[in-house]
Amino acid sequence: MAGVLRRLARISFLLTLPVGISVVLVSVFTRAGTTVLLTVGPFDATAEGVNFAGQILVRLIAISLAIGLFGLTTDPRSFVFDLERRGLSPRFAFVAAATLEAVPAMVVRAGVIQSAQRARGLDTEGSIAARLRGVMPLVGPVILSSLTEVEERTLALEVRAFGRPGERHLLWFSPDSSGQRAIRWAMVLAFLALVATRATGTFPALP
Amino acid sequence: MLELRGASYRYAGYAKDVLHDVTFTLADGEIVGLVGANESGKSTICLVASGLAPASIGGALTGTLTVDGEPMAGRATHELASRVVVGFQNPTTQLSGVAATVFEEVALGPMNLGLPVAETLARTREALATLRIEHLAERAPMKLSGGQGQLVAIASLLAMRPRHIVLDEPTAQLDPEGTRLVGEALRVLAATGTALLVAEHKTDLLDGLCDRVLVVDGGRIVAEGPAATVLADERLLDWGVEPPARVRLDRALRARGFEPSAALS
Repeated sequence: MAGVLRRLARISFLLTLPVGISVVLVSVFTRAGTTVLLTVGPFDATAEGVNFAGQILVRLIAISLAIGLFGLTTDPRSFVFDLERRGLSPRFAFVAAATLEAVPAMVVRAGVIQSAQRARGLDTEGSIAARLRGVMPLVGPVILSSLTEVEERTLALEVRAFGRPGERHLLWFSPDSSGQRAIRWAMVLAFLALVATRATGTFPALP
Repeated sequence: MLELRGASYRYAGYAKDVLHDVTFTLADGEIVGLVGANESGKSTICLVASGLAPASIGGALTGTLTVDGEPMAGRATHELASRVVVGFQNPTTQLSGVAATVFEEVALGPMNLGLPVAETLARTREALATLRIEHLAERAPMKLSGGQGQLVAIASLLAMRPRHIVLDEPTAQLDPEGTRLVGEALRVLAATGTALLVAEHKTDLLDGLCDRVLVVDGGRIVAEGPAATVLADERLLDWGVEPPARVRLDRALRARGFEPSAALS
């Protein structure tokens, strides 16, 4: 975890920023309240709105930190195949793993198509407008080639007995130490304790 | 032995058959080449001979496909895997896309068969060794060259230990070096006793490799016989097939009044 804190902060910031801006603006200027801090046209920014926006922002940051931490500390393939080892359907595991690998593959394919289009005179550099114009001719070929590949890849997988029902004996496994298991159980218990304290009113609800 | 008898096939949604009364056999350990012009029906024959048509892709098949005397009609694709497998043109689409290394990629098929780990490992090592690509075992499959990728795809099929392998234009998308690699691999495969049906435009590849060659035209087998005889047939160009370089050189020399054996000595 120590090696990913800086990246985590950046990812969390990027994930939170787009939604955060709209949430803050809407909450500050439309939340009913008695303490008006600022007036912009017909809208009043209230202290109650700022308070509410702050709470929403904290929750958004917490969610983005959790998602970012999971993504940065977990190898997707290991995660999916460990789920299969614990009982997840092999088909579902494969689909999940293939989905995770699909984005990098499409980026590579888009690069190849872009190079081919450039060789035919397509301008993909320069102003934002020029870049946007350069993106449009790529979308169709990238999507169509991906769809074509799906059929061929499906047949290739069928040939390799992908459709066979039943268990697979996987070659790979994720090492799981007793320390990791202890931490996992501790987090589960902490989560249950938090839910219990909220449900019993020991932890006051946010206004 | 793989036997296709009286096979006529129509793709799903098509009004007409694309294969008409196709009959041929692929004996154990035999290497048979399949040549023909584009759209002549080579790929369709590969799909039918492997059982994928109609089992996976639908369509209507009349006639019979039998492997070792057992009819394959109605069998699920995974049940055919140890008997007959098929490889396609594009090396990239034959890779699963989820394997981190070539070793994992080749092991995927045996794993899907539910084999014990020791058996999976043994088959994977054997397949890599047969095609002499052990040095690629730790490489990322999606970062290989076309020829290397096609060898990995063939190794992935070989790990299933099929008695028959059908290859639909395995060198179509490869450069000359990739074609050379696959050609060498096919010769090695032939020596193992696995029966091969290889559809190809590159008759030079088939020349010297195949025991027999079938010519497909308009969805029908129009010529069949020993490879040397069929590949020297005067009608090949009419069927949209370019004869191998050996035959073209022979004809060119004769056309100029030379006796090939004397000219080349």
